[in-house]
Amino acid sequence: MKKTWLRDYIIKRLLYAIFIAWAVLTITFVLLRVGPTSPADKYLANLTARGQDAAQVVAAIEARYGVDIPIYEQYINYIVNLGRGDWGWSLSTSMPVMELIKTHWIYSFQLIFLSSIFAAILGILIGIYSAVRQYSKTDYAATFFSFIGISIPNFWLGVMLILLFSVKLGLFKVYYDTGIPLLSLANLQQLILPVITLGTGMLAGYTRYTRSAMLDNLRKEFVRTARAKGLPERTVIGKHVFRNAILPLITIIMFDLGSIVFGGAYLTEIVFGIPGLGQISFNAIFADDYAVVVAVTVISAFLILMINLITDITYTYLDPRIRYD
Amino acid sequence: MTNRLKNIKPIAQKVGSTKNRIFITVIALIGITVLLDIFVVEKIFNPLTYLYIALGTLLVRYGIPLLYTSRRLIQYYWQRASKNRLAVSGLAFILFLILLAFIGPLFTADPTAVNFEEKNLPPLGFTLEESVYDLKTGQFITNTITGVGEHPLGTDDKGRDLLAMIVSGARVSLQVGLFATGIAIALGTLIGVTAAYLGGKMDNILMRFTDIMMTFPFFLLLVFIVFIFGPNLALIVIVIGLTGWTGTARLIRSETLSLRTREFIMASKALGASDRRIILSHLIPNVISLIIVIATLSIPGVILAEAALSFIGLGDPNVASWGMILKAGQQNLDTTWWVAVAPGVMLFLTVLGFNFLGDGLRDAFDPRSNV
Repeated sequence: MKKTWLRDYIIKRLLYAIFIAWAVLTITFVLLRVGPTSPADKYLANLTARGQDAAQVVAAIEARYGVDIPIYEQYINYIVNLGRGDWGWSLSTSMPVMELIKTHWIYSFQLIFLSSIFAAILGILIGIYSAVRQYSKTDYAATFFSFIGISIPNFWLGVMLILLFSVKLGLFKVYYDTGIPLLSLANLQQLILPVITLGTGMLAGYTRYTRSAMLDNLRKEFVRTARAKGLPERTVIGKHVFRNAILPLITIIMFDLGSIVFGGAYLTEIVFGIPGLGQISFNAIFADDYAVVVAVTVISAFLILMINLITDITYTYLDPRIRYD
Repeated sequence: MTNRLKNIKPIAQKVGSTKNRIFITVIALIGITVLLDIFVVEKIFNPLTYLYIALGTLLVRYGIPLLYTSRRLIQYYWQRASKNRLAVSGLAFILFLILLAFIGPLFTADPTAVNFEEKNLPPLGFTLEESVYDLKTGQFITNTITGVGEHPLGTDDKGRDLLAMIVSGARVSLQVGLFATGIAIALGTLIGVTAAYLGGKMDNILMRFTDIMMTFPFFLLLVFIVFIFGPNLALIVIVIGLTGWTGTARLIRSETLSLRTREFIMASKALGASDRRIILSHLIPNVISLIIVIATLSIPGVILAEAALSFIGLGDPNVASWGMILKAGQQNLDTTWWVAVAPGVMLFLTVLGFNFLGDGLRDAFDPRSNV
C-alpha cells in the first residue's frame, strides 16, 4: 500500500520538476526575445561607433546569436544548445560561458557548504539547549538574538563586518584573495566573515525551528513514559525528543539551501568580492553580458528544483506518517 | 420581538450615518495625501500612483467598514496585543516610518542635490580626519571635518544629504513593501478562499497551480526580468506581487476549509446568498485576522528583496533606495562609513519592527495562547 502511493507521489513530483524546468527555459527565452533591447542592439551601437558598416554588423551579430532564423527554430536551438552544454559565448570575459562557470562554481559551493554546516550545527545545539532550559536567561537571550538574526539583512551585516573587522581593526582582508589555494588554512581564515554573514540568518532560523520542535515533542506522552521508566535525562532528550524533532528540521535546512541560500550566497559573494556564480552574474549584469546572466539564472533554478525534489522525496520516504495525495 | 426590532432600526441608522461620515473623511484624507504626493512631493505621476489610488480605494471600500463594524473585537485584540511590548514598539517604529515617508520629504533637502563643497561631512557629533594637499605650502596637511547641524546624518562623497536620501529610501521601501504585499495578499486570499469554497475540481486545479508556482525560483526570475526590462519600481512591485501569493493561498485555503461547513455559511446558503456574497461578506471577514498576520510577516521579505535588487545595481535609478545607498556606501567604507551604516540600520529596524508586530499579532489572534 505504502509503496504504490509513494511511487505515485515521486512520479508526480518528478513531472512537476520537469514541467517547471521547461517553464524556466521557455520564460527566459520569451523574456530575451520580447525584452526592449536585444543583445544585438547593444553591440551594434558599439561597433558602428567604431566606423563599421551597420548592415554588415547586424547580419554578423544576428548570425552569431542565431536570430536570423524563424522564431520556433530559435526556440528549439536554444533548448537543444542548453541541453548539449553549449551555453554561448561570454562577451565580457571572452570565453565560453560553460568554461566560466566551471572555473567559478567552486567558490559559491565552498561558501554555501561551510555556512550551512556552521549554521546547522550551532543552530541545532543552541535550539536544544534553549528548549531544555525553557524560560531561563539563556533561553531568552537565544530567542532575542535569533529574532535579530532573522531580521538583519545579510548583505548589510557583511558590510558592517568588513567595516568593523577589516577597515577599523584590520584583522581580515577587505576583499577575497583568489591567489590563496582553496584547501588551505589561509582560505578558511578569509572565509570566516563571509560564512558568518551568510550563516547568521540561517543560524537564527534553525535555532527557532529546533527550539519549537523540541518543545512540541517535550510535551508528548512518550516523554513522560520514558522519564517514568527511569531513563537518564540525557537519553530522554537525545534519543526520544531529539530524534522526533530532527526530521522536520532536515527538510527546513534543505529547503533553505534551495531558496534563501542562493539569493543570500550571491549577495554575500558580491559584498566580499568572492568570484562565485553570484559575482560573475553581477559583473555580467553591468556588462550587459546576456549569455552569462541566462546561464546563471537557469543553472541556479535547476539546482533549486533538484534540491527541492530530493528533499520532498527523502522526507516522504523517511517519515511514514506523512501522506501527500 | 417587535419591540426589539423597533429599537434596532434607529441604532442601525445612526451607525450608518457615522460610518458614512468616517468613510467620507477617510476618502478625503487619502485624496489629500495622494494629491500632496503627486503635486508637492514627487511632482511626477508615475505608474505607482495608479496602484496607490486603486489599493487606497479598495482599502476604504472594504477595509474601513470592516474595521468599523468589528471595532469591539479590535479593541479586545488590541488589549491582548498591547501586552506584548515588542509588538507595540514594532508598531510604533512602523508608524514613525510611515510618517517619515509621507511628510519627511517636505522638511528635508533634495536627496539628489550634488554639492562638492560639502562632501564627506560626518554625522553630527563625529569627526573625520582627511589629508589634503595644501597648495600654499606644497605639503599634505590633516584637516578635521566636523558634522554640521544642516546635515544631521552627514553627506556622501558627492555632498548629498544623507538624511534626505534615507527619507527617500523609506518611501521606496514602504511603497514596495505595502503595494507588492497588497497585491500578493489580495490574489492569495481570493485564490485560497475560492479553492476551498468551491472545492472539487476547481480546488484541485487551483492548488496544483499553486504547488507549481511555489517551486518556481522567483527571486532569480525577478532579477532576470529586471535585467531584461530595465530597473523600474512599478515593474518590481508588480512582479513581486504577482508571484508572491502562493503561501497566502495555501494558508487561507486550509483556514477556509474548516469554515465552509459551519452553520452560518449553511444558513446564508439556505437564504439564497450568491457564491460571491458568501465569499466576500462571510468567508473573507472570518479569515481577516490570518490575512493581517500574513501581510505583516511578508512585508519584510518584500522590502529585503527590493533592497537586495538595488544593492546588486538593479534598483530604480530615479529614486534613492536604501539598498542603493548601502552599495554606494560600501565603496567608500574607509572614509564615509556612515553612508553604509545609516540605510542598513533603517532596513534592519524596519524588518525587525514588522517581525515583532507580526509575531505579537499572531499570538494575540491565537485563542489557544494566553498572552
